[in-house]
Amino acid sequence: MISLLSFASTSSLASSAAAGAVAQEMNLWEQIVLWFQQFFTNLGDKLYTALIEDSRYMYLVHGIGNTLLITVFATIIGITIGLLVALIKYQAYQTKRMKLADKLCNLYLTVIRGTPVVVQLLIMYFVIFPTFDALICAILSFGINSGAYVAEIVRSGLFAVDQGQGEAGRSLGLTQKQTLRLIVLPQAIKNILPALGNEFIVLLKETSVAGYITIMDLTRAGYIIQTRTYNAFIPYFLVAAIYLVIVVGLTKVLRHFERRLSRSDRN
Amino acid sequence: MIVTKDLQKSFGDLHVLKGINEHIHKGEKVVIVGPSGSGKSTFLRCLNLLEQPTSGEVWVEGVNITDPKCNINLVRRKMGMVFQNFNLFNHLTILKNITLAPVTQKLQTQEEAEQNARRLLARIGLADKENAYPSQLSGGQKQRIAIVRALAMNPDMMLFDEPTSALDPEMVGEVLDLMKELANAGMTMVVVTHEMGFAREVATRVLFMDEGEVVEQAPPQEFFANPKNPRLKDFLSKVL
Repeated sequence: MISLLSFASTSSLASSAAAGAVAQEMNLWEQIVLWFQQFFTNLGDKLYTALIEDSRYMYLVHGIGNTLLITVFATIIGITIGLLVALIKYQAYQTKRMKLADKLCNLYLTVIRGTPVVVQLLIMYFVIFPTFDALICAILSFGINSGAYVAEIVRSGLFAVDQGQGEAGRSLGLTQKQTLRLIVLPQAIKNILPALGNEFIVLLKETSVAGYITIMDLTRAGYIIQTRTYNAFIPYFLVAAIYLVIVVGLTKVLRHFERRLSRSDRN
Repeated sequence: MIVTKDLQKSFGDLHVLKGINEHIHKGEKVVIVGPSGSGKSTFLRCLNLLEQPTSGEVWVEGVNITDPKCNINLVRRKMGMVFQNFNLFNHLTILKNITLAPVTQKLQTQEEAEQNARRLLARIGLADKENAYPSQLSGGQKQRIAIVRALAMNPDMMLFDEPTSALDPEMVGEVLDLMKELANAGMTMVVVTHEMGFAREVATRVLFMDEGEVVEQAPPQEFFANPKNPRLKDFLSKVL
């Protein structure tokens, strides 16, 4: 750090002598050094202001709570809708019936995947359910949004299971539904688990736009601390780190499930 | 036992079966041979409605299974099927593979089904594999288990769709031996195969199919020694 500083000071002397530069015209090195200096100057004080003073850490605590709350319930809604839509589309394809239901599913997938989640969130909060609590609107919005992506993931998994598996089930006298539930679906779920895990990670991070409809999620909490303390470094780095920790934890849990389900693949 | 009346099947413009009238009796071992694309597998798959015929009827034990009102699942319980690619359930252990269908359909309790499965596994010398997964077995073992899985339903007849075509040569024998054992026990069998030795040894009747029709049929001695149709002569000259 010392050598870096001395290098920066000599070079700044040289450049100011040559060009008579003002402070705004620092070279890149100087800007980087200045940035670090600002970052580390009174770091303890800044941390104190950002977190301890006026118990501001409570913003983050509430933010984490809301982010997790939205994510968990939206995930549950997403899985439910996704499974339902994928099964309807699969059955419609297999039996050549349920044409209307299939068309409705396609409409849902097209609309939801074709519009931004923020716009869906705003429509849900300001147009469809203006009287509802913002948190409920967010859960519904993100759940319905995620459902479309989960549906496509599950559908791809169902169609990727070898046709012969289903035929073997049917040839043993199992009904279409039993075959789907006991033979095709379990194999599909196993294969799509990594993609599903990815979807949940994306969902967790997407909830960071919940602030658009007045919810204090984790990102919004960082923003509030910034406006209170006139310091952006600490709150946003903390927010980023918290997201990272949650995602890494989630990834570990999903890996564990994948390993358990892949038992039958081992030779 | 199985009767087909003017059975026809098209895939789009492709006319695969051009009117098959056959009568398969109880205890018969019918072997179907013919060049690839002749409709053998499609015919077999029409017998348990894995393929829906375009027209014509299929009757099994006096029931018209091509009638939309017929509950095909009940008929399939009595018709075991063995596939070229085994189609063991990859996510289940061998024991579960065998017990799944009878238990799900409440034909046997879990204990009965497991007892039955262990007896069948012991019979084919694979008793030690009950907790293995299909991916841990050789092709020959998989196909023998697929046969046993069908047998666990106590079927009256068995359909075999090229059961040895996907096997390494050294494993063909073990599967054919099990099928012979089954034939000797009196099972009604319909077998699509390229194994002429098996047809000669086990069949009570051999059908030759070409271009969607049964061109010739006879008991094996006559079929192989004295073929009449020029297409059959041509076919035999290539495969024997």
